[in-house]
Amino acid sequence: MTAMTYNVNGRKYQFDADSGMPLLWVIRDIIGLTGTKYGCGVEICKACTVWIDGSPEKSCEKRASEGVGVKITTIEGLSATPVGLRLQQAFVDVQAPQCGYCQSGMLMAATSLVARSPKPTDAQIDSALGNICACGTYPRVKQAIRKATGQ
Amino acid sequence: MTRVNQKSSSSTGVSRRAFLGGTAAVVAMFALDAAPGSKMAQALAASLPSDATGGAVNGWIQINADNTVTIAFGGAEMGQGILTGLAQAAAEELMVAWSQVRTQAAPASQSYITGGSYGIRANFNAMRIAGAQAREVLVASAAATWGIAAGSCSVTDGIVTNTVTKASLSFAQLAKDAATRTPSASPTLTGTSQFRVIGRSMARLDIPSKVDGSAVFGIDVRVPGMVYAAVRNCPTIGGTLAKTPAKPAGAIAVVPLGTAVAVVASNTWAAFRAAEALSVSWTTPSTASQLNSATIAAQAQTLMATGTPGSPAAERIGDAAGSFASASSKVEATYSLPYLPHVCMEVLNCTASVTATSCEVWVPTQAASWVQATAMAITGLPASAVTVHPTLLGGGLGRKIEQDYVSQAITVSKAVGKPVKLTWRREEDLSHDQYRPMGLVRVRLGADASGALTSLAVRTVAPSPLFQRGWMAPTGNDNVEGAEGLPYAIPNRLVEYVRHTAAVPVGFWRSVGNSINCFAVESAIDELATSLRVDPLEFRRRMLASDPRTLAVLQRAASDIGWSSTPPAGVARGLAISNGFGSIVALAVEVSQPTTGVMRVNRVACAVDCGFVVNPGQVESQLQGGIIQGISSAFWGQTTFSNGVASSRNFSNTRMLLMKETPSITVSQLQSGLDMIGGIGEVGVPPVAPALANAWSRLTGTRMRSLPFFPSANHMDD
Repeated sequence: MTAMTYNVNGRKYQFDADSGMPLLWVIRDIIGLTGTKYGCGVEICKACTVWIDGSPEKSCEKRASEGVGVKITTIEGLSATPVGLRLQQAFVDVQAPQCGYCQSGMLMAATSLVARSPKPTDAQIDSALGNICACGTYPRVKQAIRKATGQ
Repeated sequence: MTRVNQKSSSSTGVSRRAFLGGTAAVVAMFALDAAPGSKMAQALAASLPSDATGGAVNGWIQINADNTVTIAFGGAEMGQGILTGLAQAAAEELMVAWSQVRTQAAPASQSYITGGSYGIRANFNAMRIAGAQAREVLVASAAATWGIAAGSCSVTDGIVTNTVTKASLSFAQLAKDAATRTPSASPTLTGTSQFRVIGRSMARLDIPSKVDGSAVFGIDVRVPGMVYAAVRNCPTIGGTLAKTPAKPAGAIAVVPLGTAVAVVASNTWAAFRAAEALSVSWTTPSTASQLNSATIAAQAQTLMATGTPGSPAAERIGDAAGSFASASSKVEATYSLPYLPHVCMEVLNCTASVTATSCEVWVPTQAASWVQATAMAITGLPASAVTVHPTLLGGGLGRKIEQDYVSQAITVSKAVGKPVKLTWRREEDLSHDQYRPMGLVRVRLGADASGALTSLAVRTVAPSPLFQRGWMAPTGNDNVEGAEGLPYAIPNRLVEYVRHTAAVPVGFWRSVGNSINCFAVESAIDELATSLRVDPLEFRRRMLASDPRTLAVLQRAASDIGWSSTPPAGVARGLAISNGFGSIVALAVEVSQPTTGVMRVNRVACAVDCGFVVNPGQVESQLQGGIIQGISSAFWGQTTFSNGVASSRNFSNTRMLLMKETPSITVSQLQSGLDMIGGIGEVGVPPVAPALANAWSRLTGTRMRSLPFFPSANHMDD
């Protein structure tokens, strides 16, 4: 066990963890922020997407030690950014979620895309959102991104 | 923290506080209307434990001190929007504003089984009655207060107004007195033309919590003092634990579970790691060597040729065999379908807390009353000591009706004497599913000299989820939906079912029999049209003259895709119809071949008549979602078996359609009337595979009769 300090959504967390524990499980089980989801554990489905220093990263195979000394943003902290809040509102406006399980990852990826590309093309949206959604919310997620970016 | 606001509602989600804990309550009891008499509904009802009331729904309306209303919800919200749809029914009759609506889970004993696309069909009227009963007793209280007739009161947004004096009282002010009044068994319902909430795309009550991480799925439940369990299920179907493995260093406990073993640790990852590292010896049955996909397929061929069909036949009209023998034109074709995993995004999980005198279970389930029965059986506790807290489901698709993961969690909590959250790794979830049955379907179609279809004979060979559960006699028929009761005018029909006995566990997968037979029948219809050189739309239209509902749906889909125009170069169109769950769906698709052997779905035009639309936005998203799942399954979906071991592991070999591969999908909604209300959760799936196969055949000349279309492309890499 290693003593660690995290900065998640602008708040400090101090805890002891196995340094090999995936970041995902530190966030969910130790810190207790459960909006970030386990979907596959092998970096394919992207349900576990968080931001590390502002960049979208899959957290399920990142080690706990990689969360030290960086700024982590999870879905619970997304509304603190104006773009994040805009995307969340757009997801609600177009009623994008169905079961909702993948939507945290979708929102983290979508917000990051819009922050980089304020008017993303369809191709850019397709490329940035490789998240798996078993419900098939893709058309409405795309619609939400267009709406949030005035398209 | 800034919260996202939804224009017309704010949600309390699925809360865990005691339901009747409010300051004032109107309790409106109502009984379920006669449930639709399908085989599944009957089977579900027949299987209910005697002390559960899962076949009958009771509901409550609670008036809160702030003049909001809390509507009890007895089903499972797994993305299909039923929480909102049923709340719309009650809110309409209560005459409250949508922003006043809250919902809360009903007790397990009064929940209903969520399956078969029955949520609206079975509960919609009951929820309207509950709302109307509550409104009537509230109005009666106001009328008594003012000494006027109830007819001199009006209700708007939860406020009762004296139409003479213009005095007003809120529901909250009236609730205490209203709760003492006996509601009418047959309250006056709002006329269809007066609907303000029903029939409109009311904002879903669960959505705000799904964009900020606050939604609580089963996997998110945290209970004080909780420990974490992971399971290793025996890799081989039918295998059992030979002996309990030693507890690994750092683990809290190892608990034998018969066909599985659980490891308990201080967090999920530690439990996963310990479970993976366990050295387990299993006792595997000698029959496991029979459980190979090739063997199962060969057995299906034998059963097709020589098996004994269920008796009596699922459908027998006229003389299909004689008519086929003398037909001028014929098609005989056999179609095969694989076992399919459910692939819910939220893996199976359950949290249980068992003590000597109580048992609490927090679980994403489609069958809360069965969870209660499971807990009673394992703990020996009475129903009154068992509390089930249904959570939101990260997908259900039929898988979360099962009790395997539930019984594991309860058993582990009982063994360790602590609250336990038990979670299946994705690999366990996909390799220990209760799969959509494989199927082999032979279709014989005969037409007369005029080109009119005169005979249809369908023989479906498939394992039976009903028989495996003991809900059906050995000679019964299962998996015949989508073959029996077709809307086409066909004078001679024979639909037979031959039960495959393979021991692979099978279950209910979004549309089950419809997903099997629709592929075969709607493909064969196109094959016959092709051989007759008749346009597939025209061929179907001729057979639908006496079914104007289905005809209208078909023509709408065809018109939406522009069927009468020539498709762009390199593009072909296909059609399929599915009548199931009380609804009618037609799909028209456009496909192309960007590179040899690769199918691209460019456009899908869907038309649906579900009788009456409660929430157009939800009907659209359910159809879009069903179509997308249908494309994933048609392209890549399958689980194969080798010596009783499933192939599916993770998304690495379970490919799902991505956004970049998703076509444009339009959904046109037709309505036939409130008394013809149908389901929408499953109907999008069945017509997808045949519509794609029909389009591909027109594009390439190659007829695809085996699902999935692209089994070797089912790998999804990062």
